[in-house]
Amino acid sequence: MGNFLRLFGLLALGLAASSTFAGEAEIQVADPWVQAAPPSAKVLAAYLEIKNNGEKPQTLAEITSPVFGQVEIHRTTTRGNIARMEHLKELVIPPRSSVAIKPGGMHLMLMGGKNPLRAGDQVPMTLIFKNGEKIAISAAVRSMQEEDAGNSQHADHSKHQHH
Amino acid sequence: MSKIFGIKVWVLLLAIALSITVFIGWKLSRDDVVRAPEDIEDYLFWQARELTEFKLAGADNKTLGLSDLKGKWSFFFFGYTHCPDVCPVTLATLGKAFRILEKDAAIAPEIQGVFVSVDPGRDTPELLKEYAAYFNKHFIGVTGTTAELEAFSRQMSALYTIHPKEPGKPDNTYLVSHNSTLFLVDPQGRVHGRFPPPQDPQEIADAFVKIRAFYNERSKKRWGIF
Repeated sequence: MGNFLRLFGLLALGLAASSTFAGEAEIQVADPWVQAAPPSAKVLAAYLEIKNNGEKPQTLAEITSPVFGQVEIHRTTTRGNIARMEHLKELVIPPRSSVAIKPGGMHLMLMGGKNPLRAGDQVPMTLIFKNGEKIAISAAVRSMQEEDAGNSQHADHSKHQHH
Repeated sequence: MSKIFGIKVWVLLLAIALSITVFIGWKLSRDDVVRAPEDIEDYLFWQARELTEFKLAGADNKTLGLSDLKGKWSFFFFGYTHCPDVCPVTLATLGKAFRILEKDAAIAPEIQGVFVSVDPGRDTPELLKEYAAYFNKHFIGVTGTTAELEAFSRQMSALYTIHPKEPGKPDNTYLVSHNSTLFLVDPQGRVHGRFPPPQDPQEIADAFVKIRAFYNERSKKRWGIF
């Protein structure tokens, strides 16, 4: 009987867990990554996409990371070819929509790094929303250079096959 | 009799000399208004502008001056290393464009990339050397005094502003606005063209190949008669 109860409990837990995924969490975070920079760089940028599945606007209020002293939301605006960064106190994600934090637009500014990071390293972060929800994520450091090396290899292969 | 004939010959010679002079003059003036092919027109300045002497500091006590630009095509980018978004993206884009261009053995020795930090308060020449070389081993990093940077960036029309830090934040957290255009200086040390954002490596490489070909063709034409 004890075993049966335990099994039942596990089943219920499993059901509950799967239903949260299937029924969509209110706030979802997708594709977090950190732009690799030279080891001498004192600040790095993290990018991700935040999706608000709910009917109410959600506000990203704070980001923390154990490997950085401070994380801020920054927006780059380019006017007349002049790029200017500004610090946003918070970021509102309207209901039923998603906001992409991507290069040339917004970025999470990672400051006060505790160790130099290389491509492949993981940066744990916690996004704290105004409604109290906390989402823990891990962003991989990605180098655009390596991405490029991979792409050009593919391009070369396709060329060879073509001829 | 022979005297009259002599005058005729002289007049004829003079007429020939005159027409050759007029023809060369016309040819030269016409070359000056030769229009660039339409697909590279957008990247070129209406008239290439001569740079005047400047001095910027590189690592290992080296300096960069006007003479270092002669004989090469130089791509300039103005930024700062406490810039995690625009600067690494632009330099990585230029790095990729260089990897495409360097496949051409004739072009490879002719191009150089220069990252100018407009933030000498935080960026030292030594730090910039490593930072620039990360994106391409042929990139160099330079900076200068505020006066040197202002004079040089004004020549290039690459405006920048160092903003005061936000109140209550550490001194070294100020932000800098800068021009995110890539500037192209030709082998005569003239600001020749520019690649405004958003930049694409293949687009830069393709455009540069055409700009260089047009430049070389014009240089040849200018000194030949036809």
